[in-house]
Amino acid sequence: MNAIHRRDFLKVVAAASGASVLSIPNAHAAKPKARVVVVGGGYGGATAAKYMKLLDRGVDVTLIERDRLYTSCPLSNEVISGERDIKTLQVGYKGLARHGVNVVHDEVTAIDPVKKTVATAGGKSFSYDALILSPGVDFNYGAVQGLTKDLSESRLPHAWKAGPQTLLLKKQLEAMPDGGRFLIVVPPGPFRCPPGPYERAAQVALYCKHHGKGKSKVVILDANDSFSKKPLFEQAWKELYGYGEGGMIEWVSGANDGKVERVDPNALTCYTGFGEHKGDVVNIIPPHHAGKVAKDLGLATFKDKWCEVKPENMESVKLKDVYVIGDACVGGELATNNAFPKSAHMAITHAKVVVASLAAKFNGLPPPVPLYTNTCYSVVAHDWGFSVVHLYRVQNGQWVYIKDGSGISPVTFGTREAPKPVPRIFRRLEAEYADGWLRNVLKDAFA
Amino acid sequence: MRKGLLAVALCGVTGSAMAVGDIEILARTCNNCHGVSGVSAGGSMPSIGGLPSAYLSKIMKEWKYDKRDAATMNRIVKGLTDDEINALAVYFSKKRWVPLPQRASAAAMAKGKQVIFENCEDCHGATGSDPDIDAPKINGQAARYMALELEKYRDGAFEMPHRKMNKIVRKLNGGEIDAVSDYYGAQRK
Ligand SMILES: Cc1cc2nc3c(=O)[nH]c(=O)nc-3n(C[C@H](O)[C@H](O)[C@H](O)COP(=O)(O)OP(=O)(O)OC[C@H]3O[C@@H](n4cnc5c(N)ncnc54)[C@H](O)[C@@H]3O)c2cc1C
Ligand code: HEC
Ligand code: HEC
Repeated sequence: MNAIHRRDFLKVVAAASGASVLSIPNAHAAKPKARVVVVGGGYGGATAAKYMKLLDRGVDVTLIERDRLYTSCPLSNEVISGERDIKTLQVGYKGLARHGVNVVHDEVTAIDPVKKTVATAGGKSFSYDALILSPGVDFNYGAVQGLTKDLSESRLPHAWKAGPQTLLLKKQLEAMPDGGRFLIVVPPGPFRCPPGPYERAAQVALYCKHHGKGKSKVVILDANDSFSKKPLFEQAWKELYGYGEGGMIEWVSGANDGKVERVDPNALTCYTGFGEHKGDVVNIIPPHHAGKVAKDLGLATFKDKWCEVKPENMESVKLKDVYVIGDACVGGELATNNAFPKSAHMAITHAKVVVASLAAKFNGLPPPVPLYTNTCYSVVAHDWGFSVVHLYRVQNGQWVYIKDGSGISPVTFGTREAPKPVPRIFRRLEAEYADGWLRNVLKDAFA
Repeated sequence: MRKGLLAVALCGVTGSAMAVGDIEILARTCNNCHGVSGVSAGGSMPSIGGLPSAYLSKIMKEWKYDKRDAATMNRIVKGLTDDEINALAVYFSKKRWVPLPQRASAAAMAKGKQVIFENCEDCHGATGSDPDIDAPKINGQAARYMALELEKYRDGAFEMPHRKMNKIVRKLNGGEIDAVSDYYGAQRK
């Protein structure tokens, strides 16, 4: 970037993080500088729409979202245990409208990448110069024999999209007798929110412990052999709820026949390769994939599930001017098993990368060098939380996982030979920071 | 000592090879937790916009080089170069300090005022807006964040290198910590 360009670029980008929004020369001209359509108003889409406007008011931004009220999945496990009111997770779209985003509540049914148009169920059509897809995930109910969408909305809620199912699962937990079994069925990875099922196990156990259901069991039937922040979860489970033999929480790995193949909804029984598990509450998280709009476009080229994108700007590797962000995409250092986690924090990061690149492009400036960060808190009791941090840079057109800027909260202090427990204040702090994080990401994306 | 810190912060930036556009990109990743322009939505997360650059770069480097404990931030800054840390510090120091006056009970306000008058005013000012050069503004800082910071200064198991703050806060009990945090958190100016 030469000096003059850099100065121009600054003008464009300064607005994004600055309190004052610079108006770009043709902001009020009749013809917009460019038209950006965003599909999906979750963490990824909302952030993209907002920051596009912050970076360049002269760009016309339309956000198309099915629902009028968004419910944050992050910290929704606390709703199940009664630790949090679901209202603290809900937000509407007025904040985006205030930034000048044209918010349309409708469902996108078709995309024409040649004509560059987006059609909705409501019969509207929108033209774009750049299309940002942040549709989240859709579920493959058929992957578990006996499971249907209807059952997920009634007897076998997944609650993997926060909202009515979260409250349904909470009700089922409340109705569970002491000594009951709460089954959590985890699909093969990669799935939305890698630590989510294990955080949920802790929140369910927390509820049981304090609501006269201490004899109950939480059984995690897992298709996988390991999981995110495993040593931290196991330590907390053990200390707080009892883990394994005789404890409240039990984890059955894929190698130990944990993968559920079939469910009998009437008997509330899950069948694995060789065994059967009867539950009182059965929480099946079905395998999922990139949201239907993105998949129907043929963008889900990774294992036929997730959309591959370019490291420098999140543009689809298949379609020009179409960008896929959030849970629907795949990225990171795949060769070393350091893929981007499917998190809200990451979705916000993706959104900022795309719009910085678009703002530069629309203004004829050189593309900025992106940087990807993630932090994901897990809360296992009101005073016990921990986190994982990720940092990726882009070098030679590839994502590079930066070890020094990544990692989980410490499991122990001291040395490997003489480990010491981590003082409780560290866990207490991160439980509190999770709440502060939530307030801030909701504001960063929607306000 | 103070001069030294400032010098480090300044030459880090002028001598830095970081493109200015890139620092915007980097700073925007902080918004997730600290808000646009470093103005937090509150609760347990601090505002950082408008704090002195010497202070910001000092604590980020203390984290990076294991001189100061943190629950989360230490892992985040370890991935950044010193140049990036300096540039971030300058970047956020140029933003406006925006207090978030939070409501507090009359009892907490009365108790907080008294404790601050006796223990804190010399260095932070009566409302937290007029601190010593090495201390940050805390008028209208997120109250829950401040209470947690004071717990850190007080807890011997949590390394916070500022010995005077350690000593002063260890005199306070839990109720007083909440009261002073509420009091400073309620200040507009
Ligand atoms: C229990 C649980 C806990 C979690 N905890 C955390 C956490 O602590 N931290 C964290 O960072 N992440 C967490 N996550 C993950 C986080 O929820 C997701 O990563 C995040 O929501 C992804 O954002 P997104 O924009 O990709 O998708 P979403 O947030 O799902 O948004 C997609 C939006 O697109 C809309 N949409 C889809 N298709 C269409 C269409 N055709 N037309 C119109 N609108 C459409 C949907 O209605 C939806 O609003 C958790 C997830 C779960 C399930
Ligand atoms: C995931 C949330 C998160 C992100 C992202 C984040 N921070 Fe923080 N920040 C925190 C937390 C939590 C604290 C309290 C310190 C701790 O970790 O114990 C904090 C504290 C701070 C403080 C101290 C404030 C004070 O008043 O003393 C500074 C400075 C800071 N962060 C700078 C940054 C910068 C710069 C970035 C971007 C590179 C950033 N933070 C990104 C969570 C975050
Ligand atoms: C001797 C001067 C001095 C006194 C007296 C003092 N402070 Fe501090 N305070 C500081 C300094 C310097 C810092 C920054 C220290 C550091 O880098 O860790 C600080 C930090 C803080 C912070 C953390 C701010 C942040 O943004 O992270 C809080 C809160 C605070 N002080 C409150 C108090 C309260 C309440 C009292 C009285 C009970 C008090 N201080 C007394 C000098 C003082």
